[in-house]
Amino acid sequence: MPDAKGFRIVVATLALLGLAFLVFPVIFTGVVAFGGSIFIEFPPQSLSLRWFENIGRINRIWDATITSLYIGLITAALATAMGAAAALALVRSPLPGKAMLTSLLLSPIALPIVAIGIALIQFFILLGMAFTWWSLVIGHLVLVIAYPVRTVAAALTLSNPSLEEAGASLGASPWQVFRTVTLPQMAPGLVSGFLFAFLISFDNYPISVFLVRGELTTLPIELFNYISQNLDPTPAAFSSAYVAVVAALILLAERRWRIISLSIPR
Amino acid sequence: MQGASPRLTGFLLLAPALVFLIAFYLVPLGTMVEESLRSAPNDMDPRAGLHLFQYDRVWNSGRSWRALERTVRISAISTLLTLLVAYPIALFLFQVRAFWRTAILITIFVSLASSLIVRNYGWLVTLADAGPVNQLLLALGIADEPLRMVYSEGATIVALVHYALPFMILPIYGALTRIPPSFVEAAQSLGAGPWRALFGTVLPLSMPGIFGGTTLTFAICMSAFVTPLMLGSPATAMISQVAAEQFLVQLNFPFGSAMIVALTLVTFAILLAYTLLIRAVFRHHA
Repeated sequence: MPDAKGFRIVVATLALLGLAFLVFPVIFTGVVAFGGSIFIEFPPQSLSLRWFENIGRINRIWDATITSLYIGLITAALATAMGAAAALALVRSPLPGKAMLTSLLLSPIALPIVAIGIALIQFFILLGMAFTWWSLVIGHLVLVIAYPVRTVAAALTLSNPSLEEAGASLGASPWQVFRTVTLPQMAPGLVSGFLFAFLISFDNYPISVFLVRGELTTLPIELFNYISQNLDPTPAAFSSAYVAVVAALILLAERRWRIISLSIPR
Repeated sequence: MQGASPRLTGFLLLAPALVFLIAFYLVPLGTMVEESLRSAPNDMDPRAGLHLFQYDRVWNSGRSWRALERTVRISAISTLLTLLVAYPIALFLFQVRAFWRTAILITIFVSLASSLIVRNYGWLVTLADAGPVNQLLLALGIADEPLRMVYSEGATIVALVHYALPFMILPIYGALTRIPPSFVEAAQSLGAGPWRALFGTVLPLSMPGIFGGTTLTFAICMSAFVTPLMLGSPATAMISQVAAEQFLVQLNFPFGSAMIVALTLVTFAILLAYTLLIRAVFRHHA
């Protein structure tokens, strides 16, 4: 990259301002979460933990969290299994029309996000299975299946297929080759695909809002409703806890599986 | 795969994802397009025929047309701002030691993976009447009384830029890592200053990353729904919100479907024109 003192200083200044822009809302939210006032106030005049205690008062928060956890885990598991199998086929098998199949699998993330919810609610009403638990899983699955396809395909593209040929030529059965060579090569893609599929499902509002009614509700729906009906800093406390958990998950996945290098487009 | 027929194995591996997407993605989308060609809600009579009545309404009803126009404008402004904020960050990753590079990338990932509602709420706090930005403006004497910044088009754009930033930084950083350092050294040893090397060599060579990032950001902003809902007002509604109202409040499914199909077509048309433009400029340079 270009190198000169003045240049480096200008780039560094602009970049640090940009990174501050990225990080500051999270930091401000964290500070406000510990404030004592019932309104958002910066800097807080008094300190308290009452907003963390108040998280439990968000309407149906436990029900909604459990539902979102279940739906997120099932969606992520199904997406990873189906997406990884598809990625394996697209990278390693001689198939006709690969480019078209790949764009079909990746297209749900390019479409306006409410389109999926809007299309599915009409479809489920026709089928008579609207507003059920499974309709929610299906809606999320349509959106997130692209992520494991991408990450597993990236992991396989970066790995070396001649290792599989070596295993086969040394007498290993196809299943042995898959288990001992291909699967470990796919591992980082499986982990980051699962993680992103889960986080995107767990956080989804634009599809869920069309598919939930009555008893069925999710965490983002209840969090959104709380924020639009209340002005107290309870969501700030919730947000800080949320970001802390996500940061821990990402750090863990990066330590163990180096997921970040996989997600930089090459 | 080493099985008897690699092609059959491939089809079997692909089948679950493919069957699922056909049944629960392509068919519902088809149903939605069909619905958008009906004249009234619950108009299930096939003899009534299919026509473009709803699309005519999208173009001619004030609210949906203004929302579509606003969506395109907000998306274009947000994409440009995101590029301007992202590029120095991507360049900066080459100036710092490996430890800091990983730390910054992890920060970007945590931001990417944090809930959108949580991030938007962060902007509701940051831009609040008694929030930190207003405190700063008052302290610096720029404003005499707190400014109302939330629930506006500006707040929506700020939050969209924040949301899209990781999607812009990562492809640009990826493109920059592919530029051979010798190219930049050659430019500088031939007497180009750092700025000339940046705009003459680095920037054109990172074009694939810029193109990928801007395309993705524009598409994300065009389909924005939660962000304008949280940080905008009914007067600054984007088209996804207006379409959603037709489903959740007005119960006019054909009109809502037509808006979403129109949004999809407009987005694709703009991205296609953009792709052709970039390609033409590139061929001209090469």
